[in-house]
This record gives sequence, C-alpha cells and structure tokens, in this order.
Amino acid sequence: MSASPLLQPDIDPSKGGSTALAKTPEASASPERNLNPVSVEFPLGSSEEEYVQLQQRLFLATLIVSAFAASFTAIFFDFSAAISLLIGAFAGVLYLRLLARSIGKLGRSSKGVSKIQLVVPVVLVLAALKLSELHFLPALLGFLLYKPSLMLQVLLESRIQAKSVSS
Amino acid sequence: MDSITTAASVVAAGLAVGLGAIGPGIGQGSAAQGAVEGIARQPEAEGKIRGTLLLSFAFMESLTIYGLVVALVLLFANPFAG
Repeated sequence: MSASPLLQPDIDPSKGGSTALAKTPEASASPERNLNPVSVEFPLGSSEEEYVQLQQRLFLATLIVSAFAASFTAIFFDFSAAISLLIGAFAGVLYLRLLARSIGKLGRSSKGVSKIQLVVPVVLVLAALKLSELHFLPALLGFLLYKPSLMLQVLLESRIQAKSVSS
Repeated sequence: MDSITTAASVVAAGLAVGLGAIGPGIGQGSAAQGAVEGIARQPEAEGKIRGTLLLSFAFMESLTIYGLVVALVLLFANPFAG
C-alpha cells in the first residue's frame, strides 16, 4: 500500500507534533478533499464496542465451558485433576486476554502482534512438569478449552449472518 | 540419560519449535496484513475485522503452542530418558 503524499504528516506525531497535513496546492485548492484522518468521522466508538463485546462473549463462553469440564472431571475422575484443569482454563483465559489486547493495539500503537501471550502456556507447562500437585494433561487440556468456545462463537456468528442474509 | 539421547532431545525440541512456528508465522503475517489493509479501507468495520483477526490468530497460534509443549516435554520431562 503506497501512501498518498496528502497523508504525509509534516511533523512526527510521536514526538508531540500534530497530524495536520502538508499544505499542498491540491489540498488547499479543494478543502473538502482534505484527507486529514482527524476530521474523518466514522462511528469508531461502536466498532470498538463491538470488539470489546466479542471479547467479553469469548471470555464468558470459555469460563462456562471450563466450569462444565471441571465439574465433569471432578465427578467422573479426580478432584485434583479438576483443580489442574481449572488452573489451565484460567491460563487459557489469560492467554486469550493478552492476545486480544495485542490485536487491539495492532495498527494503532504497534505494527505487529506481540508474542508476550506465549509466555502463559510456557509457564503453565513448566509449572505442570515441575510441581507434583499440578497434573500435566488436565492442565494442558484446560488451557486448550478456549478453542471449543471459539468454535462455538464462530458457529453462532455464521448462523446469525446466514439468518440475516436469508431474511 | 545418555549423551546421545540428550543431544537428540535438544535437536528435536529446537526442530519442534522452529518448524512448528513457520506455518503459523506466515499465516499470521498475511492475516495481519489483510486486517490492517481492511481497517484502513473501511474504518467503520474495524470491530468486526479485529474480532475475526482475534479468532483466526487464536486458532493459528495454537499450532505454535503444540510445538512449544512438545519441546518443553522433551527438555524437562523426557519420556525417552532411562
């Protein structure tokens, strides 16, 4: 994507400068075509709200799936395995939260998605391998419980979209 | 654990992480590129684009996590150690 000369700021905004555009002859001749991003009005607030709502739905779905899986494990297997699964599930929610935060920063304050969220599974696996109280397999399965909730979310969204298209 | 098993485990751990990160890395790069281009073209659809990017990243990055888990198990709880 090549940037238009109209979009080149004259002062670096990261150093406290304004994002006002350079006064080119073309821009001064037609002020209504001024491409200043500050003056463009889109409903960004509702769009950001949509992203926050999606995150909240994902966290809620993950917590519900985790509670169901932990109770199933406590009833049919072992109570300590259920605790390990719950710890893994909380690590999964934390991982998802960090991933959502880094994606939220993409294009605004960072050029790429950070990898800091990968610290969470590393710490979880190391803790499960070193601590005898934490079982490895239930903790790993609990961590991966965010995937069923993601699939659920994708299925629900595609079904809602299909309904809105057909109606 | 003898030295050959140790060396093979370390090499295998490195290969698991390295090879396991190639595919998701390429996929995440192209997905992020498309998302940023889409947000620049349609700022009003930013929330939807970011939501779709979050879902796709979560699925893609799990492949990296699988490789990471295999590498950590090979390094810290090697099943082939005698």
